[in-house]
Formats: sequence, structure tokens, C-alpha cells
Amino acid sequence: MTIRNTLRDYGQRYRPRMACLKKAEKVLLEMQDPKTGVKSQPQRLVITTIPHAITGEDIIAWLADRFQIDTQEARKFGSMLVALGYIYPLQDHKRLVVKPDASLYRFQTPYFWPTQQWPVEDTDYAIYLAKRNIRKKGILELHEQEQYNRLHKWMNHKWDFIVMQAKEQYRAAKERKKPDRVVFDCQERAYWVVHRPPPGTVSAMDYGLDRRVDPNADEAKTHDFYERIMIFTQQSIMRPRVKSSVSIGALVKYCATYNSHDPFLSKCLPSNPWLTDDVTYWTLNMPNVEIPTKMRVERWTFSFGELLSDPRGRDDFRLFLKKEFSGENLAFWESCEDLKWGTAATMREKAEQIYKTFLARGAPRWINIDGKTMEITVNGLKHPHRYVLDAAQTHIYMLMKKDSYGRYLKSPVFKDTLKKAICPEEHKFTDAQLDQNAKNRRPSLSPIILRQQEQEQRAKMAASATVDITQLCRFTTPVPHLAVYSGITDYPSANASPSLPFLTHTPACPSPISVALDSTSASERRAETSEGEGEGNPQTRAPIGGNVSKPRMAFSLRRLLKRGCTPSTMFASLSPKCPSAAGTSSRIQPISPDQPTQAPPRRIGNFFQIKVDIPPECRIYPIESEDEEEENRAASRSGVGAKEIICPWESLTPQNGMG
Amino acid sequence: MGKEECKTMLDALNKVTACYRHLVIALGSTSDSQNLREELKRTRKKAQELAVANRTKLTALLKDKTISKEDRSEYERLWVLFSSSMELLEVDMKRSLELGQNFPLKVPTRHLIQTGMTGSTTTVAARAISVQNIKYEADSNIDTVDLGDLQAEISQVSQMMEEMEMKVQVAPWAVEAKQEAGAELKSSMSVGNSSVGVISICEEEPKEHESGGSRDAGFASICAVVIFFVIVTVAVVLGYLVINMS
Repeated sequence: MTIRNTLRDYGQRYRPRMACLKKAEKVLLEMQDPKTGVKSQPQRLVITTIPHAITGEDIIAWLADRFQIDTQEARKFGSMLVALGYIYPLQDHKRLVVKPDASLYRFQTPYFWPTQQWPVEDTDYAIYLAKRNIRKKGILELHEQEQYNRLHKWMNHKWDFIVMQAKEQYRAAKERKKPDRVVFDCQERAYWVVHRPPPGTVSAMDYGLDRRVDPNADEAKTHDFYERIMIFTQQSIMRPRVKSSVSIGALVKYCATYNSHDPFLSKCLPSNPWLTDDVTYWTLNMPNVEIPTKMRVERWTFSFGELLSDPRGRDDFRLFLKKEFSGENLAFWESCEDLKWGTAATMREKAEQIYKTFLARGAPRWINIDGKTMEITVNGLKHPHRYVLDAAQTHIYMLMKKDSYGRYLKSPVFKDTLKKAICPEEHKFTDAQLDQNAKNRRPSLSPIILRQQEQEQRAKMAASATVDITQLCRFTTPVPHLAVYSGITDYPSANASPSLPFLTHTPACPSPISVALDSTSASERRAETSEGEGEGNPQTRAPIGGNVSKPRMAFSLRRLLKRGCTPSTMFASLSPKCPSAAGTSSRIQPISPDQPTQAPPRRIGNFFQIKVDIPPECRIYPIESEDEEEENRAASRSGVGAKEIICPWESLTPQNGMG
Repeated sequence: MGKEECKTMLDALNKVTACYRHLVIALGSTSDSQNLREELKRTRKKAQELAVANRTKLTALLKDKTISKEDRSEYERLWVLFSSSMELLEVDMKRSLELGQNFPLKVPTRHLIQTGMTGSTTTVAARAISVQNIKYEADSNIDTVDLGDLQAEISQVSQMMEEMEMKVQVAPWAVEAKQEAGAELKSSMSVGNSSVGVISICEEEPKEHESGGSRDAGFASICAVVIFFVIVTVAVVLGYLVINMS
């Protein structure tokens, strides 16, 4: 059974999207009138003369006269007629604009007029390409060649027909006289330039998706139909209502604020790329640009959501928070976003990672949320899903908004950025330059390449990530290999929408697991060689939760705690490996007041509410003092009743040496 | 053999479809005229006849369960050719109806679009109906009268296509084309008796014994040149003889 195109009648009747077509046809009929229309002249080719050619300036003059508009608007109107395909240019046939000079145009035959009722078929296009192939003796343009190959692949079952029909049509066309043949060729070519535009041009006939259902048709009054009406009205009743003064006030405020930032309503500096074909505006506003534009920085002051949704703004904010040593809030927020927008397979790991890094008692980057939210979150984490951290994320968001945002706007970081922001000059292109720009249009990088670049950048940043640890306990002090979420990297996708705060997908962080993995494996190797203890057990022990990579971090931590006394030596042995660690550790040192260098050993467990049973001769040593002696002593320790941070929803499997 | 007949008829249908499309493209433009409408009508009639003939033949062949696998795949290929032709024809007929309604000829102010085409389409139509010269004998109000006929014919064709789909179980996507990409550049057609002949890529006249009317202008000029030289030679010879004799 042939599959017929059942969607043939879905044009104007279903949604008069292109009401302009009927109107344009009327205008065209007037225009082509031999007496009152545009002046026509014959086109002189080498041998033949073809009548009914019109010049661009005549078109513009006639339109300006008929509709009483100025030349600029007449020109735009004429260009629209050309772009739709009612008039086609005879020279430079690929650029569908009206040039206000003596360049020639001609009217298109009604068969080739644009219409939504008769969809443009690929079969016809294939036949046209085959005919062109014959005519040009096999030399097609690049995009035509590509289309040809593609159609040959997809319409293979019809290919015999296409070849036959192409040959026949070619021969039938030859039956006509030479001038008519030339005209016909031009007509057909123009038609296909409009409906299958060459790459780099936009077809004026793009009107989005077609509707399968006629919205004006009567719908059968079935049970379903009434049920839908009922549900709709019930929901309408339940909808929360706002006083119109409030809502209108909000709208007015929004319009007033964003009026100067809207590229339709006000000027777009330096120039709107869609109008002038000059992409400076886009390069200046790339997501990870060094120096933002003044307009962009101004938008950050509008609301906190704007700041966060702009990647550059987020970078700035992150820098500010780093200076204030409260970067964990933003890091937590970002990792929550990552969880929400990430793949389902990684959700469980991510949730646990986040818990360990931010929420657990004694976590390295502990965030400050109230007890109730914490309870809800921890309960939810027993069965993690995408939105399990929503409550905590909202809390932190409000915290940042009410507290840090205000300080950020007054901070030197912001003021500095504001001062450095550039305000580009407006472009003033002449017509010739505009033509030049149009010729030099190039497609931008493919999104696949962009994503690869993003990932490379992220990996690079992850490798050199600095650690931002807020709480210092002995377990967290110099843990460079637990290079947790530092939140430095930020190369998100470029489609940030300012109105929706949580919309942007920013997989900003390197997965802490991967980083931990890299350095952990290195550290483990080193540890093994240096200590050489029977550490086979932790490695071969079946990981909790069945995930090999996740508890690696836990492993190393557990191993250190097992040794019981001087994790700092272990850390110390690790520290030379990570060059940034030394820097961070020296930075971290001053923060914790509880790390006396020569303090007598004491029970520090209670401070951070970790029930740790540490042998009294333990000392906390600063990182720099790598002590071989201590290391040896560490090796001889056995058994420690230290409890590490594990997720409360996981059952404690009986492990050797763990309390 | 059945296959050869089929192929011939399909080629004829193909030719008529191509010519019909050319004629419809001329509708509404300055090369439109009374004659064009009549040509359209007659081409349509021819197309209908061919379509019906093809359909009966192919349905008969495909319904036959006793044919071999290769035969069946060949017939399916022919069926796809036939149905594609019919689809094109149907669309063109619908469009000609619409255009005919929008551009009536017998109104006080004719507003045919000045497209630059001024010649007539007689030759194309002649090719389609395979006659040497067309005699135009229609009445003056063919454009309006014809539209009624056209509507009837369109519905006929749609009906026929639906019937076709119901009766014959052919999966068009399973058909493999015999021609590969770029086949149109090759100089010979893979056709039997309808012998559209050897075509070459340059603009030579096609040798067709069906369409007598399709003499290319080039052919005529070559003939003229040849005759001219013959006459000159004869004159030279005669003159030489005269001079010799005297």
C-alpha cells in the first residue's frame, strides 16, 4: 500500500500563519499590471531578448508611491516580496533582496508562488536536482550535491521514477523556444532558492510546525471532551490569584527595567547581528568572556536570579564568595543543579557525594541549613531522586540572595568588574559594508564541537582545581586528593535564560569522584609502597552500595583513620603530589583556630561531633612537617575506633577495625 | 510480453505527466491563453486514458499469484513508478484547478502575470498527445466550462488511487531502484519499445518515432545547410560543364 502524504491539506485552513501571502498576491497583481504597474523593460541577453524585466529602483519607487511610504520601508517591503518568492532577481539570484539600483527582477509564475496549501515536496526537489545535473553535466553546487546524495539515499525506492521524470521534463522543456526556456530555468531556480535555501540563508517560508488538527473544526462532544473541560475549569478555580494592581505593577516594573536591554525595543550595541551580519555582539557576550559588557553587568544588579543564570556573573559571584570564604553555598547550589539536570544513572552517586561533601556532620564543606530542612533532606536521601535536595537548595538560595548578594553588589570585586566592563561603540555600516558582511557570513561552530571544548576545559580545570574547604577538622585538613567540589570550572551551555533561575544546565563541577579517583589511586599506590601494611582488606572489601568508585574516597579516609593517629602524615605524604595543595593548606591554616601546632593531644572528636576514639598520643601536625619517624610510628598503630562519615541510609557492614 | 507492454505504457504516462507539468506552470502567466486551456484539457484526457490502461494491466499482473519472485519485484518497481506518476498528476491537476479559478480568461481586465514567457506551449502539448499539429477547436468559454470537468476528473483520479492502494499490496519502500545516483547523466535510457531513442547530453534532437512533431530547430538548419551545399555543388558542376561545352 502506498503511503500517501495524508498531511496535504494542513495549510492555510488550519492556521493562517502566513496571512501575508494572500495580501502579497494582491499587491503583486497590481504591480504587474502593464498599464499601472511597475515599468517593465526587456532584458537583453547575448542572443535573445526577454521582456518583462523590472529594475529594483522602479519597484521601490512604485511601492513608495502606491502605499505612500518612505523609500526605506518600500525597500524592506520589496525585499519581503522577493524573499517570499513573488519576484526573483535575475542577477545574484541567491540573495533575495531588492537592491535600489538598476539590477533586474522578474515576476514569478503563479504555479511557483509560495503557498502553504501545497507543501513543497522532496520528490519535486529531487527531480529538479536531477534536471540540473543533466543541464550542468554533473557539476552541482556543494549544497545541491549534498542534498542530491541525501535524497538518493532516502528516496531510493522512487529513484527510477525521479530519473525518468527528470529526463522527460528536460526534454519537454526543450520543446519551447529559447527565450521561454531561459525564463523557465530562471523561474524554477528561483523557486528552489526560496524553498530550499542554500546554507547560510534563511527561508522566508519558515513558519514552524504545522498543526495536524484544525482548530476551527467542531470537536465531537464525547465524554472525554467534557471531562477535559471540567478539569480545566476546576484548575482555573484553584489557581492562586493576585490582585491586578500587584501583577500589573510587577509587569510595569519588569518592562521599565528591561526596556533598555531588549534588542527589539532599543538599540543593541554594537549592532544586531541579525540585521547587520556582524557577530561582534555575540563574541562580546560569550558565556566565558573575560571582560563583560556594561549592559550585562547592569543586568546582574536586577536580581539574584539574573546574576546566577549568567555564567560570567556566576563566576564573579564565586570569586567574591571565595574571598569571603563562603563558597560552599554556591558550590552546594550548583551541585544541586547538577543533580537535578543530570542523568538518572549518576543520580545516586551524586546525591551521596553531595551529602558527604556538604551536609554530613563534619563534612569538609558544610553548609549551614536549619535543623528541619536538614532532617527532611536526610530522610529524603534514603531514597534519592532528582529533587531530593530541593528544600535545602531553596534555603541556600534564599540565604545567598538575602545575605551574600547584597554584600556582593557593594564589594570591590563587583565594583572592579563594573569599572572594567566595556561599552562597545555602535556600528555604522554603509550599504556596501552590509553587502560585504552578508557575503562573509559563516556558520558558527557545531554544538558538538562546542560541547567537546566545554568538556575539555572542564577536565583541565578539574585537574588544577583548588580546594575550598570550610571546616577544618583533622580529617579534612589537607585533603588535596579529596579534591571535592571546588566549583571553579564553569563552562555551561550558552543558552542561559535570565528569567528562570534554575533553568540553566550547568554541569559546572568536575565530578568529585573522578578527581578523587585520580589522586586517590596515586595516593594509594604511594601509600602502599611506603607503608606496605596489610591493606589488602580495604581494597578488596566489597564496597558499600555496590559502587566501586564512590567509596574510594571513603577508603583512603578509612585507611587513615585505621592507622589511627597521624593522618596528617598520610596527608603530608600526599601533599607534595598535588602542587596546589600546599598553597591551599597554607591558606587554610589560618582559618581554623583549633589547630595549634604543638598542642598536646586531646580529644578533638567532640568539637565536630564525630565520635572518634583516638589514641591519646595522636597529634595534629601541620602539613609541612613531614616526619619520617611519625610515619613509622603510624605504621605500627593498629586498630582504631574511628568512625568515618558514611551515609546514614547505608547500613554499616561489619568491617574490621571499625567501631 | 507483459513487462514490455507495461514499460511502454509507463513511459508514455511519464511523458504525459512531464508535459502536463510544463503546461500547468504556464498557467496564469503571459503565455496563458485559450489554447493553453485546451491543451491542458486534452493532455489530461490522454493522461487519464493511459492511467486507466496502466492500472488495469498492472493490477492484473500483480494479482497473479503464479509469477516468480523476480517478476514480482519487477512489477512492484513498475507499480511504484506508476503510483508516483499518478501522485504528480493528481497534484498538478489540483493546482491547475486552483490556478484556472484564480486566472479566468474571459474577464474584462485580464490580469495574467507578466512573467516574461511569451511563446506558446503548442509544441509541448503536441509532444504530450503525440500528434504533429494540434487543431484548436474549443469554444470561447473553455476556461470556465472546463473547470467543472476538471473537478470531476480530479475526484475520479483520487478515487482510483485509493482503490489502487486497497487492491494491491505493494510496499513501496521495499522497492530497490535500478538506477544509481547520476543515472540521468548516462546517455541511454533503459527502456524498450517506446524508444525515446538515444539521447546525448548535448542539445541534439531526440529520435522519436512517436512524436513526429518534435523537430528541433537545429535539425532544420542542418538540413538547410546540407541542401544549400548540394545545390552549390550542382551549380558548380553545371557551370563547369557549360563552360566546357562552349
